[in-house]
Amino acid sequence: MKQSSKKATRLVIATALVAGLAACGSTSGSGSSAKGAPITLAVNPWTGSAVNANVAKVVLESKLGTTVTLTDIDENATWVGMDKGDIDAVLEQWPSGHGPDMKTYIDEKKTVVNLGVLGPQAKIGWYVNDAALAADPKVATWEGFKDAATAGKFATAETGSQGRFLMGDPSYVTFDEQIIANLKLPLKYTVAGSEAALITAIKQAETDKKPILLQFWQPHWLQSKVKLTEVKLPAVTPACLASADAKDGKYACDYAPDPIFKAASVKLEKKNAKALAFLKKFTLTTDQQNAIAAMIDGDGMKADAAAKQWVDANAKIVDGWLAK
Amino acid sequence: MAVALAPSPSIVSNSVRRSALAVILVVGIVLLGRLTGGKARLADVPTWLDAHVKPRTDIIYKWVVLNNQKHWIFTRIFDPIASVLKAVNDAVFWVLKSLRWPGLLALSGLVGSKTGGRRAAIAGVLVLALCGVLGFWDETVVSLSLMTVAVSVSLLIGVPLGIWAGLNDRVNRVLRTILDTAQVMPAYVYLLPIVVLFGIGNAPAIVAAVIFAVAPAVRLTSLGLRSVPIVANEVGTSYGCTRRQLLAKVQLPMARRAMLLGLNQVIMMAFGILVIAALVGAGGLGQAVLAGLQKNDVGRTFVPGLVMVFAAVVLDRITTGQRHAVKADSLASKLASFLPNRGAQIGAAFIGIVLLAIVAKLVGANSFPEALQVNITKPINSMVRWTNGHVRKGVPVIGGTTHVNEVLVKGILTPLRDAFQYTAWWLVVLLVGLIGWLSGGRRLGLLCAACMVGIAALRTWNLAMDTLSQVLLAVLISIVLAVPIGILAGRSDRFERAIRPLLDAAQVMPPFVYLVPVIFLFEVGRVPGVIASVIYALPPGIRLTSLGLREVSASVREAAVSFGATPRQELFKVQLPLALRSVMLGINQTILMVLSMVIVAALIGAGALGLETVYGLTKKEIGRGLSGGMSIVLLAIVLDRLTQAWGSRTAGQSQAAS
Repeated sequence: MKQSSKKATRLVIATALVAGLAACGSTSGSGSSAKGAPITLAVNPWTGSAVNANVAKVVLESKLGTTVTLTDIDENATWVGMDKGDIDAVLEQWPSGHGPDMKTYIDEKKTVVNLGVLGPQAKIGWYVNDAALAADPKVATWEGFKDAATAGKFATAETGSQGRFLMGDPSYVTFDEQIIANLKLPLKYTVAGSEAALITAIKQAETDKKPILLQFWQPHWLQSKVKLTEVKLPAVTPACLASADAKDGKYACDYAPDPIFKAASVKLEKKNAKALAFLKKFTLTTDQQNAIAAMIDGDGMKADAAAKQWVDANAKIVDGWLAK
Repeated sequence: MAVALAPSPSIVSNSVRRSALAVILVVGIVLLGRLTGGKARLADVPTWLDAHVKPRTDIIYKWVVLNNQKHWIFTRIFDPIASVLKAVNDAVFWVLKSLRWPGLLALSGLVGSKTGGRRAAIAGVLVLALCGVLGFWDETVVSLSLMTVAVSVSLLIGVPLGIWAGLNDRVNRVLRTILDTAQVMPAYVYLLPIVVLFGIGNAPAIVAAVIFAVAPAVRLTSLGLRSVPIVANEVGTSYGCTRRQLLAKVQLPMARRAMLLGLNQVIMMAFGILVIAALVGAGGLGQAVLAGLQKNDVGRTFVPGLVMVFAAVVLDRITTGQRHAVKADSLASKLASFLPNRGAQIGAAFIGIVLLAIVAKLVGANSFPEALQVNITKPINSMVRWTNGHVRKGVPVIGGTTHVNEVLVKGILTPLRDAFQYTAWWLVVLLVGLIGWLSGGRRLGLLCAACMVGIAALRTWNLAMDTLSQVLLAVLISIVLAVPIGILAGRSDRFERAIRPLLDAAQVMPPFVYLVPVIFLFEVGRVPGVIASVIYALPPGIRLTSLGLREVSASVREAAVSFGATPRQELFKVQLPLALRSVMLGINQTILMVLSMVIVAALIGAGALGLETVYGLTKKEIGRGLSGGMSIVLLAIVLDRLTQAWGSRTAGQSQAAS
């Protein structure tokens, strides 16, 4: 008897609990004129990616009635997400970093589709700081590094007498080891291990006014804070690019520019064709992207607020994306 | 009493002898390396010795990637598991979020008061409130729900396995090897495969956390059951208990203390996965840490890291608190006396919390009030700036961190690495086997040698030698620091209380939070990696040393004092020898922790096996990652079994003698 009354009490409590919570849970969704199914866009960990995704979100939500969820996620996991349809699209991918992904998911499995270029061109390259140029102006071109004494100015405790060539995140596709070997430069290829470590090394070199040579890229927020000069490498030739494809280890020229592209899950077409059509037409120039990025990085605005402000001020461009 | 005192010198000298042996053999490798290999070239493993792990794994992985939406293994097994995990997490998140901040604070206080009395309740409310004060309330709720599910699943799997292992020796042995692997195998290796199997978002994050955090639940449940005195079991049986009754009414209640420590460690370990969870789209506090890192902003990284520590402490204190008697005259108990029974009391409290949440909704208190928030990013950044300006150069005697870096790299790390790498591989295998044989007999010698051959067959020999040289330095520094600190903590309650939060923080704080400043002070390379490993590996060493000293029974110590022992004699001749088993377990855990940091060290420039493993994830060469990860595990097994052998020998002698 006592047992059952206890059970009854518990049941009442549980019901009250759920009912009460249900009352406070339902806040969103009422009265929105949603026309398309909600979609999810990936945001990869750099400002440019946040800019694109937030601008697209503002337009999709205000003009096309499509609710957009932004998911912060690693770029490799992004592809797996698009494969399954958990992520509908990503608006900034660098071709140089995703050759195998494009082959597996776009060509073989056909679960991801290429939505064309976004607009900005990315460029990987070799960079030196001002202290390096002050120590020896020869380092503005690769030939300068042939001299062991010049290269030795980049030496650290870890590299001994050889100059250090610093590379950041091991996930980046790089040809630096091949370039160093094929051009016979007395440099030691060193992996910093992460972007955070790479940037800390740059800041450290700047503080100590010590020369530093590294692989870096445009666009990057640090480029506006620290003056880095790109080292002139041998010009890109068709033969050089062919050796990259053939993986024969004979790459010995500069990096080719990376046209940033957009990609979507093949399932988006059925889910929300209007959103897909918009994402296909969506483009941003380098200047536009930089302007919005500056509002976030420079002025400390939140990404969604910056995107909204820009969209409101640029109605013409937005209309262009929506035109049939 | 004389018996207790007499054996101590021989035990100490025995362990000294054993460590001396290890040092001599390391020096031997160095010298032989110089003689046999010279500087000319790296020692080479013959090409026939190859397990082909890379190509084989890559073939399997490719098959999985191409079939993960077709084959029944995925649609019938992995997809449903992922859906259930996601649904459970969504439900927990919905409850926590709907409670809103006043309701959640009240819930934390209520759970705390149930398990740990008023102290745990107050700690639960105040520390959780701090998460909001620091400006990360919403992220905390996301992470707390993820961790609640991950910890629950870990217990659901870990406790039954632990009971099984506690009752069955063979299961215990098999599980131990698997758990060692799960703890040392870096999450980086299995992260991408998990995403391919379970999708993105919360489900893979929970799976990764469970893989990493299930070990302490199993280990400590098993340990707890095994430490139930035989007498208790016999009394139970003689009163006619069935096996089931014996387990439920005698053994499990007596194992409660160990199991609670297990819960504590499960929570701490699970929180360690939060940053990795953010990589696969789980958001929360891990994402906040990543965002700060991306901007290289120490303050913005540190604050969410600190909130993570607070959240872990809340979950820990309100679930593992010891039950205290509630004082009869407290306001709560006066109110409670109006209600008929306990169930109704708790129910009333829950209804109160729900009402609180509804009121909060009505007044629009959705997120934590901004008026209560404090931004400590700037003071932290100016503190870091000051340190950077004053510690790197011009410090008296040591000359600054830049100089220390150079000495460590040129004086220790590079020569040690060269010695290992330039020695013929078979010679290293022989020497490691010999150390094993001398430490624990023929079987251990064979095991150690086999592990080293395994590394050679994984084709990672030179990287493994590089890692080994770094790991040895980190282990040495950790032990030199942990044992004295642990002794201090074991002898002073006040000191132990003071360092406990620091130890919690060292276990939970994502390493990158403190690594970026460390890189700035030293240099991208191996030294920051060694420092990170030491910080992470210190807590278990300190905790177990202190525990060991505290477990020496008071009567033995009193006897020593009554025989006229000075405090110093009491420590060195009584306490330490008797605490040796616990101290050696601490050293053993320290080694495992150092090895589990090899990956993190690679992310700040330490290279070697860690970097090889990171390549696996980030370039989707899963086979390559697995080879690296397996090599780390093999190194761990060698070092783990060696130190365990030293530990059980010395402890065995001390027990036999007393």
